[in-house]
Amino acid sequence: MDYIRRLPVYLLLDCSGSMSGEPIVAVNQGIKALISELKGDPKALETAYLSVITFDSSARQVTPLTELMLFKEPQLSTGGATALGGALKVLADCVKNEVRTTTDTQKGDWKPLVFLLTDGAPTDNIDEGIEAIKSVSIGNVIACGAGANANSNTLKKITNNVLMMNNLTAGDMAQFFAWVSDSIKVSSNSIDAKPGEAVQLPPPPQGFVIVP
Amino acid sequence: MNSGEILTAVLESGETIEYIFDANAPRGGMKHTFFTPDRKYVVQFFNNPRDAHNIAMQDRIRTIVGIYNPTRSEADGGALGNTEKTADYFRSRFCWPVGIVKSPEFGIVCPTYPQNFFFGDGASTVLNLKGKDKKSNWFTGRNRRFLDSAELGDFRTMLKAATGLVRGIRRMHQAGLAHSDLSYNNVLIDPKSGSAVIIDIDSLVVPNKYAPEVCGTTGYIAPEVLATLEYNYDDSRRALPCVQTDLHALPVLIYEYLFLRHPLIGPKIYSTESAEKDDFLAMGPMATFIENPADTSNRPPDLNVTIKSLSKGLENLFLRAFVDGLHNPSERPTAMEWERELLRAWDRLTPCANPRCEKKWFILRDENDPVCPFCGTRAADKIIRLGFKSEMRGKKGVFREKSEVIVYNNIPLFDWHVLANVHNDEKASTDMRAYVCRYNGMWLLVNNGIEGMTSPAGRLVPKGSAVELKNGTVFRMTNRENGLLCEVQVY
Repeated sequence: MDYIRRLPVYLLLDCSGSMSGEPIVAVNQGIKALISELKGDPKALETAYLSVITFDSSARQVTPLTELMLFKEPQLSTGGATALGGALKVLADCVKNEVRTTTDTQKGDWKPLVFLLTDGAPTDNIDEGIEAIKSVSIGNVIACGAGANANSNTLKKITNNVLMMNNLTAGDMAQFFAWVSDSIKVSSNSIDAKPGEAVQLPPPPQGFVIVP
Repeated sequence: MNSGEILTAVLESGETIEYIFDANAPRGGMKHTFFTPDRKYVVQFFNNPRDAHNIAMQDRIRTIVGIYNPTRSEADGGALGNTEKTADYFRSRFCWPVGIVKSPEFGIVCPTYPQNFFFGDGASTVLNLKGKDKKSNWFTGRNRRFLDSAELGDFRTMLKAATGLVRGIRRMHQAGLAHSDLSYNNVLIDPKSGSAVIIDIDSLVVPNKYAPEVCGTTGYIAPEVLATLEYNYDDSRRALPCVQTDLHALPVLIYEYLFLRHPLIGPKIYSTESAEKDDFLAMGPMATFIENPADTSNRPPDLNVTIKSLSKGLENLFLRAFVDGLHNPSERPTAMEWERELLRAWDRLTPCANPRCEKKWFILRDENDPVCPFCGTRAADKIIRLGFKSEMRGKKGVFREKSEVIVYNNIPLFDWHVLANVHNDEKASTDMRAYVCRYNGMWLLVNNGIEGMTSPAGRLVPKGSAVELKNGTVFRMTNRENGLLCEVQVY
């Protein structure tokens, strides 16, 4: 019998029109590389479960929380606006429905880890989305703003952990996903197990700026 | 700098070493790693510049590479009393840092792990593992099902890996060093060959040096360390990694190798407040051994093979480690005790009579009830036990048992089965001195190069000749000084 806890990981990916071309190709490749990398880490393979939520003019969960061995990379395409607020609401619903809580008879999941990637300013009301994610228990939310149009002030309203990536080249995107993979590995092997405390993530790659 | 670019590091010794820059270099909690072009060494730098500039840490690492280095002979600047032979022995058990980088910044140079600790072709049909290092949790948890059965070894090779690990840790502890972060991440195992290698040596706790700020890995952190993490690093209430905390992590690993499960992870729910709180209690202040005989609250319902399936000696050590010593560090068995009992258990290994038994070997608990605990098959052959006895000092003709062996076909015997003053350790020769084999329905002990072996009747048994093993037979392994007496029992 196994008594393994799951580490739920949610990727919130911007698929608005401005992501078309090289950026979205890089995101698709990034997810592929991420899965392949995590499958090479025994602890991540055992514990990490991955879900993809995308947003353009609206938001939806394209892959429900799935164990790595069964995960099929979605083929993402672009078009439309940037419904970031909607994406946060979808995230809150998914966490509510998918993340198991600990009961007298069941080992619950770890607090989820959320990675948000966006290249522009939200076109909907993000305050409702922020309210929604406050109502659920999440371990770490890391927001990454990519390119010149990403707005760090908006992202700061969502989380304290904001990274800025200067451009949207395939190389930068690959580094971002490599870092996401390292972060998931560190979290699933969580070195510091103080209850309730967020796990310290590895430093972001060169060329990424942490917004204080 | 671009990935693939070859850079040069200057060592404190004045030598230089080339390494390949990689923008996506593998990153651990503390360091990131680059390979040398020939992939024989890795050059590691600290993620955090504060660590790299920490004088106390640099100083500590210098002693690890120098006077505390068991992989270098004393003559070569390594550990006191270390010979080239023992240095060579420990080189295969540790990835010990061999040099310190001073430029472009402070870092260390380590040998790459030996090739057998990387997965090769065909390790798995569902995962692409080629070139990945063999962290022990590939083999001890659910991930086993993804590996080719040829990768998994058997009970005997896992026992051997455990013994190799314990030996390395015993050597460290002997020198007063503590590893401080023993876990599946920092001990690679190769179940195929039954070997283990201890890595990440730079976080060692060194006597009288400022201790590294690591606390360990979840599941291996000693309960007292986890329970006091809330205090500041320099608060006296905070328990820090030391030899005694290694002596928690070490049996956790041994238990995992032998049983393929974690000794503290069972069905018990400690808190419904959050998963984090539940785990904190389960691994920290409330930790309960799943096999605790007096408290079965964490016992899984499907435990068939237990510590009672091992030798009595190992059972007792596990009880001391996970019952008496779980919350009372001074009660934990030492690495030397683990080494001794694992070697004793090794001498009681018996092949399972069932050709389809997945474990193939088991530790014989009771000569009169030789049943494989893994598959329930009873031994087909008679059990033959050799007792090796040494003459007590100053009491001529009075013998005391030094060790024993349960024999099987082609079991090798070594100097420590021949001489009273040789023990199965890193100093002993691994040349086979004799072996036992089945021949025409007889069990024979064949001399493979012992001078002065004598038959029960006292006649010399030259190399290539044999003594038949019958119940009650007594003979000398050698009539030379410190020679052992061999007494045969057939059950």
